[in-house]
Amino acid sequence: MQNPYIPYPVEIAKIITEVDTKDIKTFRLKFVNKEDEEAFQYIPGQFGELSVYGKGESPIGIASSPTQKGYIEFTVQKAGVVTSALHEMEEGTMMGVRGPLGNSWPIEYLEGKNLVIVGGGFAFTTLRSLINYMIYEDNRKRFGKITIIYGSRNPGLLLYKDELAAWEKRDDLNVNITVDKGDAAWKGREGFVPTVCKEVAPSSENAVTVICGPPIMIRFTLPVFFDLGFSKENIITSLEMRMKCGIGKCGRCNVGNKYVCKDGPVFSLAELDKLTKEY
Amino acid sequence: MEKRLINKDALAGIARKMAMELTVWVPVREEDNVLFAPLSQDTEPFFAYLNSRNAPKQVFFPHTEKLMKYTRTPKGMVFSEEESKADKAVLFGVRPCDAQSFALLDMLFDQEKYRDPYYVAKRNNTTVITLTCVQPPYATCFCTSVDGEPLSGGGADILLTELDANYLAEFITAKGEKLLKYFGDLKTDEADDSRKMEISEKAKQAIKSKIPAHEIKPLLDSNFEHPFWATIHSKCLACGTCTYLCPTCHCFDISDEATGSDGVRIRSWDSCMFPLFTKETSGHNPRISQKERWRQRIMHKFKYYVDNFNAIACVGCGRCVRSCPVNLDIRKVVEDISKL
Repeated sequence: MQNPYIPYPVEIAKIITEVDTKDIKTFRLKFVNKEDEEAFQYIPGQFGELSVYGKGESPIGIASSPTQKGYIEFTVQKAGVVTSALHEMEEGTMMGVRGPLGNSWPIEYLEGKNLVIVGGGFAFTTLRSLINYMIYEDNRKRFGKITIIYGSRNPGLLLYKDELAAWEKRDDLNVNITVDKGDAAWKGREGFVPTVCKEVAPSSENAVTVICGPPIMIRFTLPVFFDLGFSKENIITSLEMRMKCGIGKCGRCNVGNKYVCKDGPVFSLAELDKLTKEY
Repeated sequence: MEKRLINKDALAGIARKMAMELTVWVPVREEDNVLFAPLSQDTEPFFAYLNSRNAPKQVFFPHTEKLMKYTRTPKGMVFSEEESKADKAVLFGVRPCDAQSFALLDMLFDQEKYRDPYYVAKRNNTTVITLTCVQPPYATCFCTSVDGEPLSGGGADILLTELDANYLAEFITAKGEKLLKYFGDLKTDEADDSRKMEISEKAKQAIKSKIPAHEIKPLLDSNFEHPFWATIHSKCLACGTCTYLCPTCHCFDISDEATGSDGVRIRSWDSCMFPLFTKETSGHNPRISQKERWRQRIMHKFKYYVDNFNAIACVGCGRCVRSCPVNLDIRKVVEDISKL
């Protein structure tokens, strides 16, 4: 039996600095052992516990898609003890990862539906995983129209800039990138995410929206989707809580009787309505 | 079920004989406390005890436990699994409430998905011998309100009950029967069984402290935002004594300790009573004051555990009541909730 507390050894294969402020980096990790890579079968929306020895662990959403073979990616903001140590590390360094943990975006439920992906700021990582999964070769035809609305405070803070540019060129995606405030070089859209959602006004017919972002963005975006006729079952998000074990034992990430690590992190608004508001 | 009678004076001798082959945890006196410790040449078992100060959960779920170790190499740190030490052991003479707590902890640690290997290895290798409470030890005992009773065999492999000059030993599980050889060959008869019934009835009657533990579940379901929650915690010191001594509290922290080129990852008991327990890196804390932490403790025991495992996560041992430095009493809280 696999010991769920022991990480798989991985090597940092590549580090990409995502933003101008340099405090958000994507770490591409390669498994040291082939069998570990095969055991780490994940679905977009799941997370892993990144292990920096001597510092501890940090739960981070998986930013790559399972269709990307040979590695997994995590986009990490420098914030606490573990993520700060991670940001000091170099390519070629060994570290560890536990997972995949948690439930996932409800892929089966999303199939055959129109998707509206709404992301704000740094909270775009597992949405990127979902988008890359859906647009991968034959997967694309399993999903209806895909509308992407993604915003950040300024152009320098947008994640995955090359991918955004590539998505914008595709005719099977409706991509809407926005920034709160542009700079001299910015030719794109300006405006807050909720406003852009209102302007884009995606139809709620046979549609599901998947929303991740800072609480303030979510608070102002939800009414827009209610007005567009989205039911609470068809508004899906992902929660964050302080975690340790990631497997529902250490007792700290519960919201009501659900553990965010094990029963979440993905919940529909209808499911969240049944829980307490303690998050 | 196999049963044997043993002379009352023989109990310590049986424990000593077992200790020649197994690790035998017994209650021992330490200053004015009783704690569970492995029996050795230097320790004397003390079976005439009321209850141990600390819950014996430490045998399966130690206060601090190594999960893995790691070493620094030129390329970074490389880890190896810390071998989970689980000698064949006997937990000799725990009270029925504490034995019941093991059944409750099993529900969490021994789930099919994500089995906790450290807990399960020790649990599987340990035989639990319960020493029943012929005379209920404390006025704060309320086991009969939370599905227990003074002579309960829940969570036990072998049940010992004092019958006048003897102990009646009942071998409840196959694991318990493996230790039959230590208990002599004095068989029991029906008179012993009926004497036990009598004693059991009397012991149950002697538990005077009662709480409406089952009645409050629907009230907890609907009163998460009730102003009542703001009335419990004002004198709470957030010391965590209640959760450390609780036989069913299982929350833990995981941390790394590194020295030079080597380190270990350990887990250690944590507490929902501590402000840092849920504080996030951003500074956000979903349980912002002691009010929310108290609500979590009560909800976890009397609602969430019931929702998830269909069992109340309290065994009525009364440790949290006896040891709280500011006399907060979970019995009173439950009583008050029942009147909401």
